[in-house]
Amino acid sequence: MNAPASRPVQSPEVALEPYKVRNSKSMGDRGEWIVRSAFARFDLVALGIAMGCVGALCLWAATAVLLVKEAPSGVAVGPHLALLANFLPGYNVSWPGSIVGLFYGFLLGLGFGVLIAMVWNIAHHIYLVQAVTRRYFAGDL
Amino acid sequence: MLDDAEGKVLNAAIRVNTIIIAVAMGLLCGAILWSSTAILLLRGGPDVGAHLSLLSVFFPGYSVSWSGAWIGLLWGFVYGALSGIVLYWSYARTLHERLCELLVDSPAASTLTPPIFLFSGNGLGIGLGTLMALQLLLTTNWLVARGTASESNNAALLSQYLPGYTVSFSGSIVGALELFAVAFVASHVLAGIYNTVTRLRATRDMAAP
Repeated sequence: MNAPASRPVQSPEVALEPYKVRNSKSMGDRGEWIVRSAFARFDLVALGIAMGCVGALCLWAATAVLLVKEAPSGVAVGPHLALLANFLPGYNVSWPGSIVGLFYGFLLGLGFGVLIAMVWNIAHHIYLVQAVTRRYFAGDL
Repeated sequence: MLDDAEGKVLNAAIRVNTIIIAVAMGLLCGAILWSSTAILLLRGGPDVGAHLSLLSVFFPGYSVSWSGAWIGLLWGFVYGALSGIVLYWSYARTLHERLCELLVDSPAASTLTPPIFLFSGNGLGIGLGTLMALQLLLTTNWLVARGTASESNNAALLSQYLPGYTVSFSGSIVGALELFAVAFVASHVLAGIYNTVTRLRATRDMAAP
């Protein structure tokens, strides 16, 4: 956990800024490091883009699987998945429809990702403000 | 290794995070079910929401009506919150103290602006995979237990995506394993994109004057 004094410990994932708190041997600092890192926030844009891409890929793949499998002649392909057109105008189970699905999947994933990140970040911010205020007035963090 | 006191702090933080993600996912799922019902009701037409109303098999009291939409909001909240708890709990338990290392710190980070969270593809894969596999097991076996497995034509359509899946106990095991694998791969894609974009944005912020 504690690194040699000459070489600051950095995040194993990305080396942007040394983890100064982690270099400290003080129990208070280590506790603060754990609290700060356990309450890390989401990158709103990144989560939106990532969930958008996965959403787009899922809807496109769901459509493509049905199209590749095909249906007996005279039978509609994917009548149940096609019901999504009730919510996503322009979508249908066809190759052009799968491109429309790609767009809607991205849009929905983006929206869900941004919403989840917003709720997470706002809730954490409120919790941290409360904790800091309590420590300031009562010293009981 | 964390000592006892540090472990307690981390576990307390995980509990708070679990509540937050449960509320977030509960609100999201409740809103999705409410708005899906509302869209169908506003569009109108004969036999409105024949397929969506099948959710009443799992959510007693739900129907495609205005009163059903509000019951759906409650059920959606419960379902989303439980899903959030299983997802975050299994993610955090898989990583535990590594949870504190998957971060991007920046000069802007302070007590009130914590560092940014990075995903572990494996941790997320196990969390999401467990959640989705559990959901498929529970829903399929609920249909089996109530004796409507042979009539569950819509559920059986999942075999289009999960070969070997049937509305039976053995079929649910096969489907759950396949769904776990799909969720695991999707989680790696999600984690990869999220971590890349986060790093790019953090590097750009660091370079900014």
